[in-house]
Amino acid sequence: MNTKGNKQTARTNWPITILLIIGCLTIFFPLYMTIIIAFKQPSEMTNDIAGALAFPSSWSFSNFAQAMEVTDFWNSLANSVLITVIAIVLAVIIHSLAGYAIGRSMAHSKVYSFIYLYIVSGMFVPFAILMMPVVKLTAQMGLANRVGVILLYTVFYMPMNLLLYSGYLKNIPLALEEAARVDGATTWKTYWSIIFPVMKPMHATVAVLTALGTWNDVMTPLVILSGTDVNTLPLAQLNFQTQFGTNYNLAFASYLLALIPILIFYLVCQKQILNGVVNGAVK
Amino acid sequence: MRRKKIAAVSVTLAGIMAAAGVMSGCSLSGGDNGKIRIEMIQYKQEAVGVFEELEKKFNETHDDIELVIDSPNDATTIMKTRFIREDYPDIIGIGGDMNYSNFLDAGLLMDISDYEGLDSIKQAYLDMDKELELVPQEGVYAVPYAANAAGVLYNKDIFDEYGWEIPTTWDEFLALCEDIQAEGLQPFFFGFRDTWTCLAPWNAIAVDLVDSDICSQVNRGEANFTDNYREVAEKTRALLDYAQDDPFAYSYNDACTAFARGEAVMYPIGSYAVPQIQSVNPDINIDSFVMPASEDASVNKLNSGNDLQFSVLAESEHKEAAYEVLDFLLEDENVQFYLDDQNAVPCKEGDFELAPMLDGMKTYIEDGYLADYQDHHYPSEMAVDAMIQTYLLDDSENATDTFLERFDTEWVRYNRDTIRNLEEYMEEHPDAE
Amino acid sequence: MKKKMGNREKTFLCITIPILILFFMFNTLPLIRGVIYSFTNYKGYGTYDFVGFRNYVDLFQDSRVGKSYLFTFKFAIVSTIVTNVVSLILALGLNSKIKGKSALRGIYFIPNVLGGLVVGYIFSFIFTYILPTVGQKLGIGFLSSSMLSSESSAWLAIVFVACWQSVAMNTIIYISGLQTVPEDVYEAGSIDGATGWSKFKNLTFPLIIPFFSINMVLCMKNFLMVFDQIMALTKGGPAQSTESISYLIYNNGMSGGQFGFQSANAVIFFIVIVVISVAQMKFTGSKEEQL
Repeated sequence: MNTKGNKQTARTNWPITILLIIGCLTIFFPLYMTIIIAFKQPSEMTNDIAGALAFPSSWSFSNFAQAMEVTDFWNSLANSVLITVIAIVLAVIIHSLAGYAIGRSMAHSKVYSFIYLYIVSGMFVPFAILMMPVVKLTAQMGLANRVGVILLYTVFYMPMNLLLYSGYLKNIPLALEEAARVDGATTWKTYWSIIFPVMKPMHATVAVLTALGTWNDVMTPLVILSGTDVNTLPLAQLNFQTQFGTNYNLAFASYLLALIPILIFYLVCQKQILNGVVNGAVK
Repeated sequence: MRRKKIAAVSVTLAGIMAAAGVMSGCSLSGGDNGKIRIEMIQYKQEAVGVFEELEKKFNETHDDIELVIDSPNDATTIMKTRFIREDYPDIIGIGGDMNYSNFLDAGLLMDISDYEGLDSIKQAYLDMDKELELVPQEGVYAVPYAANAAGVLYNKDIFDEYGWEIPTTWDEFLALCEDIQAEGLQPFFFGFRDTWTCLAPWNAIAVDLVDSDICSQVNRGEANFTDNYREVAEKTRALLDYAQDDPFAYSYNDACTAFARGEAVMYPIGSYAVPQIQSVNPDINIDSFVMPASEDASVNKLNSGNDLQFSVLAESEHKEAAYEVLDFLLEDENVQFYLDDQNAVPCKEGDFELAPMLDGMKTYIEDGYLADYQDHHYPSEMAVDAMIQTYLLDDSENATDTFLERFDTEWVRYNRDTIRNLEEYMEEHPDAE
Repeated sequence: MKKKMGNREKTFLCITIPILILFFMFNTLPLIRGVIYSFTNYKGYGTYDFVGFRNYVDLFQDSRVGKSYLFTFKFAIVSTIVTNVVSLILALGLNSKIKGKSALRGIYFIPNVLGGLVVGYIFSFIFTYILPTVGQKLGIGFLSSSMLSSESSAWLAIVFVACWQSVAMNTIIYISGLQTVPEDVYEAGSIDGATGWSKFKNLTFPLIIPFFSINMVLCMKNFLMVFDQIMALTKGGPAQSTESISYLIYNNGMSGGQFGFQSANAVIFFIVIVVISVAQMKFTGSKEEQL
């Protein structure tokens, strides 16, 4: 356990830097394999180590074109984006309102304290128990579609996000609202003009956590959407798995396609994502 | 003024929910063009191309009916999920197996005994469906369409090259495996990572050694599996000696690929595997023989069952149109089209041409010397395929005892409702068989 | 004061009621219906009868369910320990004076943004085709055949993949924990001659215990619900040795015709999760208040 580097006077700790760089290989190796297999042709797949690690003989995109066709890539991508974006927007609007209304009332109202506990304890309900009844319920309400999936996410992420928002609000002084109220603004208006902007850091956190959870989720779309011809990106991978047969190159091209959108998003918003995750976990 | 604002809050939130409801409502009502829409789901993923063709052909020749055929991956799960959602298609194409028994038992299927096309179906296959009824039913609920045959596929070119003979008894079969190994070749390449493939040799061996209605016998309390399945279990295990290292690491696709490339000489699997094998190597010369599990060549039977049969759902509002679709599918030309693509055996009477890889089984098919797959009677939640895989992986000395004991105890538990219903039925119909 | 808040309270009420209805509809109502189904022999379609506690009695005699609980807990406990040890070491490294700190942190977080299913498929290929080749070349016995095909190693492969992904998250949390440790603690420590392991044990670790408990709770809960990795790597095999509870409920409940029975399983699973969560919070509750 080397924490020597924490001393302000210490210089760059090269052994640890080098060890950490070598450690990155564990991250990059699977990604590297994915990329080269995705570009290879079935005839290039060999059983010796050097051959397996070698670059493909040519960087042809034909596997990708075929994989896009097989998995209906653009539609799946559009569905994933649609579901994730709407789920985030609804989370930020509805859950922050819930956090405000319930969080501000909890201190002086037993009823609201109870409501708070009631919703937050929903965190302990595993999806496994809701899964089967939810399939029946959404179907009976005509919600066995993308709207149903979005609504379910709005409900499933409510406990965590309510906890986050009401926790954050504890640090926002009531005096801020009092001043606006004295000026004659309604609570509703005060919320949107003062409180909502103030909670900006928490919105980022909620958005990141909701996005990471919904984008990669398999189970909810699997039970709600299967058999409806509507796929999300992960669901498409699952549904078309057998169509790849033993053509692993095609399969890997498809895997890579499924990973790329979120990787790009991560590279662009890395800082916000890391901060969001930390905020969410620590609060 | 303030009241309005407050109301606005609720209206906004309620609006979001209402919008969700409306949006979902819209997506439900599809475009109507005056045609009756018949929706069919069929479970043969391998036959997706055939059904796309048939769907096209049907819609070109029918003005009043629009046929939509869906062939999704993992179709039975999707069917069940849709049944859970109470969202029923008009026709389903499934195998004559436990799913059929369950759907029938749940009252999902329509009695189609008034359908005229049934007259042209071979009785043997209609009888197999009768045997699948958990509790004896009045009426007919499925049209058997295509059967498959399972035994041992072999690479004809390699056999010819070494001059090997087709075995007719278990001893000859093992001797053949020894010969193949002696030549430095691999007799089998299994894909046991996909648990269902464990059932292929199991079924083929079981039809030779065990009564075809053994499951009903057990349900009636007249027999047990420990006595009847011991030999089946031991012989299935014996095949492992001639398989590649670690057969549990590879999938069905891997096994088909290996056989297609000549890495294995034989493959105990059904005729349904042939298209997959040919997709890897279109030039491979495949033939088949009946699994010779018994020492007495005369009791060895062909393992053949309803691979694809059509049922109309009880909820369907378009019975006449559904019959028209069935008529179309049963036209000789379309049956032959299916057989050619899938190397299947027709359930319809008539002069059909069989695929060359069924040559070795032809006499059995023509003489009707066949028996249904045992696993068509196993409840899927019991996961007998995984139990067999567990057994094959178990190296301990009493593995067979453990397996058979587990088979008997679990059978009773998973079939408890069936057994109880059957008892009630027997009490009500004391003279029934 | 209270009277003046009339508008405020009404607004709150108008916000809370629709949200409460939504939550009840899609969380509590399904939960109640799940409990009701657990007393039936429902297949999910068709007709069904109430069978009393039979499903629950069966549950405790079903070797497959028992095995799935054993597997899930074995998996969750081992994965939680491995993840926390690895991510703590990584966090200490990434928090020390190194070059390219933010780039390295960014890289180590990548696995967390990738979907479990696709990652599972990629590793499945590596375990089946690449590792055995390497194992055979190097003569490493247990690697020379696929890890996924043997009961004794398949679960370890799943642990590996699950940890590969979740280490990222925990590392970031530990780093933020380490950053709360004030420098003067170390200065005081080094005067006392604390170095290496003893410094970590006596100075650093006690200060990041709240973060440790967050990670434990997060990890345990996620790992107990493992599903994607199972679906992609083993589908419960070989020999049903890697069926997690969630996988079994999905597989047998949705496609296997055990809707009622698996509902009972889900109810028990729910109770188990609640008990564990409450126990964990009781255990760490006092410490978390320091935050």
